[in-house]
Amino acid sequence: MSEPSVRISGTVLASLMFQHVNSDSDVEGLVLGESSFHEQVTISDSQSDHIHIEEIYNIQKHVACLKLNILYSSSGEVNLDVLQEMLADNKQDSVIGWYRQRRHSEQHMTFREKLVHDKLKSALKNPHMIFLLLTSSRVTPTDSTHRMEYSAFTSRSRRFVNIPVLVTNLGLLEQQGYWKVSAPCSASGYSLTMNKHGSRFFSPSGLLKEVDEMNKMNDSLQVELQKACREVEESERAVEALQLEVSALRKSLREKQQSSEGKVPGTSSPVEPRNNQLLLKAVRALLGSCPLLLTQRLSLQACPVPSRDTMAADSDREQEQPALLQDGRGTKQRGALQGRGRKRRRNNC
Amino acid sequence: MSPEVALHRISPELRPLLCSVVRNGRVGLDSTNCLRVTDLKTGCTSLTPGPCCDRFKLHIPYAGETLKWDIIFNAQYPELPPDFIFGEDAEFLPEPSELPHLVHWDAGNPESLLQLVKELIQQYHQYQCQRLRESSRLLFEYDSLLEDPSYGRNLEIYAGRKNSWTGEFSARFLLKLPVDFSNIPVYLLKDTALDPGEDVALLSVSFEDAEATQVFPKLYLSPSIEHALGGSSALHIPAFPSGGCLIDYVPQVCQLLTNKVQYVIQGYHKRREYIAAFLSHFGMGVVEYDAEGFTKLTLLLMWKDFCFLVHVDLPLYFPRDQPTLTFQSVYHFTNSGQLYSQVQTSYPYSPRWDGNEMAKRAKYETPAAYRSYCKCYLL
Repeated sequence: MSEPSVRISGTVLASLMFQHVNSDSDVEGLVLGESSFHEQVTISDSQSDHIHIEEIYNIQKHVACLKLNILYSSSGEVNLDVLQEMLADNKQDSVIGWYRQRRHSEQHMTFREKLVHDKLKSALKNPHMIFLLLTSSRVTPTDSTHRMEYSAFTSRSRRFVNIPVLVTNLGLLEQQGYWKVSAPCSASGYSLTMNKHGSRFFSPSGLLKEVDEMNKMNDSLQVELQKACREVEESERAVEALQLEVSALRKSLREKQQSSEGKVPGTSSPVEPRNNQLLLKAVRALLGSCPLLLTQRLSLQACPVPSRDTMAADSDREQEQPALLQDGRGTKQRGALQGRGRKRRRNNC
Repeated sequence: MSPEVALHRISPELRPLLCSVVRNGRVGLDSTNCLRVTDLKTGCTSLTPGPCCDRFKLHIPYAGETLKWDIIFNAQYPELPPDFIFGEDAEFLPEPSELPHLVHWDAGNPESLLQLVKELIQQYHQYQCQRLRESSRLLFEYDSLLEDPSYGRNLEIYAGRKNSWTGEFSARFLLKLPVDFSNIPVYLLKDTALDPGEDVALLSVSFEDAEATQVFPKLYLSPSIEHALGGSSALHIPAFPSGGCLIDYVPQVCQLLTNKVQYVIQGYHKRREYIAAFLSHFGMGVVEYDAEGFTKLTLLLMWKDFCFLVHVDLPLYFPRDQPTLTFQSVYHFTNSGQLYSQVQTSYPYSPRWDGNEMAKRAKYETPAAYRSYCKCYLL
């Protein structure tokens, strides 16, 4: 599916309008320029690729007919002699269409314009031709404001369709996408400059020189990237092997430990923490009677409350032998003494 | 825009061409309406002194529709042939070889433009017939009508797509009915300067869908025919039968119209016969009579030295409808200032009597009616 469009610079369009404004009647002539066809590939989520052809007709100049209806007959037959005369200097290849300017008429092709367009295509052997139509009309009754409308047509399957016209000034006004081709220009000065300085920037293949260097750098980068990827992969594999080895060793160690614990009986019960009674006795003996080193608790009535250690030391002296042998009974007795001690405290205060 | 205004504003070199179009421009079956011109504009600059209009919109009646075509000349080059924009029919592209008046354009011939428009209409008709191929049912209707030369040669078709989304297809057939109106009495117009045009009956049949399930017929008569038949409500055509086709329906309507016309013609002749018989029987007593339509007759009669007027009014559908006799006094007025009169309808009458018999019966029955009138008169 092709998408045709017409590009015309502001100066060319203005010159067409100027010619029409200064003419007493309708004006017609040929438009010269170049047509190009570009293949656009659009990738979207819905389909892998969408290819459409973009037809661009770039109007660069126009050649007006000296008189109306001189280029064709009343039935639309093109006068080849007049056509050749208009297209001096072999400009036939640069003809991309023709134009007509009418006042106070609609933006539709007329009967004869359709006939002439088809005949012109055959005469110039160019199946892709455009017809540019400019119509002017008076907007206000006082002639203070006039409207100039323009549109382009092309024929598709014996039907004439309207195609968009874009007016370019110094460059394309489109802001989207990348420029894949430069703006066409047929000026001789432009061609001379490009021929003179082009070899500094362009390689023989027509591409910019930097493009080749960039491609080479990109290739080198790709090689380094691949090397790094390989190294990472190798290290990852080594890590994985080591992890397997470690887990295997842990497993075997655990099994060994389990098997060694199973041979010794009675050692399965947890070891209870044991008080160092000898040390306790020694500390009490040295420091237990020193009031400066004793902390005292006071009751609400400010009476000192004998500490538990003091009471425990007394009870230890009484039950020294049995405490060394059986700690469980000692604990019980201690608790009973404490209870008695509590009672005593109550009585004292 | 009136023709005079259009002719005033058009460029002088193009005026003869436009004059023949607006004055004599009747194309197609509906020749009662002239071609109409609107939206006259100029292709010259605003500094060009007028009149310099050289492009306009032409309204052409066709198959019940009005085609609006733009015609573009050039005031600076009046010898050049015109160009056309065919309105909404952008796909209509006639063959130039079928347009001899375009190929051999003669700017000096005032009829050139009108003839060219007629040729374009013919091409447009073929273009519309081609469009009928979108519906096999409607194409069958067209082909069947085409086989009968009395219908096929006087047929206009307008095929259009009603709804571009649903693709519903519709068409209208406009036929000129082959009915002979030549013997219908001359139409008396109040404004004799107005040309009533050709006597024609057009049948319009609209197919609202491609399968012909919604069909609406309508009969159009030229003013003289309509007046002669007794007005727009005098004739009712039957509805289009469900599942029927035009080749059966159109002859039915033709026959109905023909019978009506024959009845009116016979009524005219009967009236003329009646008046003639009365003239021969009451020759000396005739005051006046309608010598064109034969619808009225006034007699001055005398009975026993008493004179009175008798006005005889013949209805349109005479002899089916009985004439009305009105006795009128020549001596006295009523309180309202009118001459005393009395209408008599109860007298012996039969539509099967010829004019002579009716006059004879009237002659003998007048005294009885007169006596009845006198009784009322004297009372």
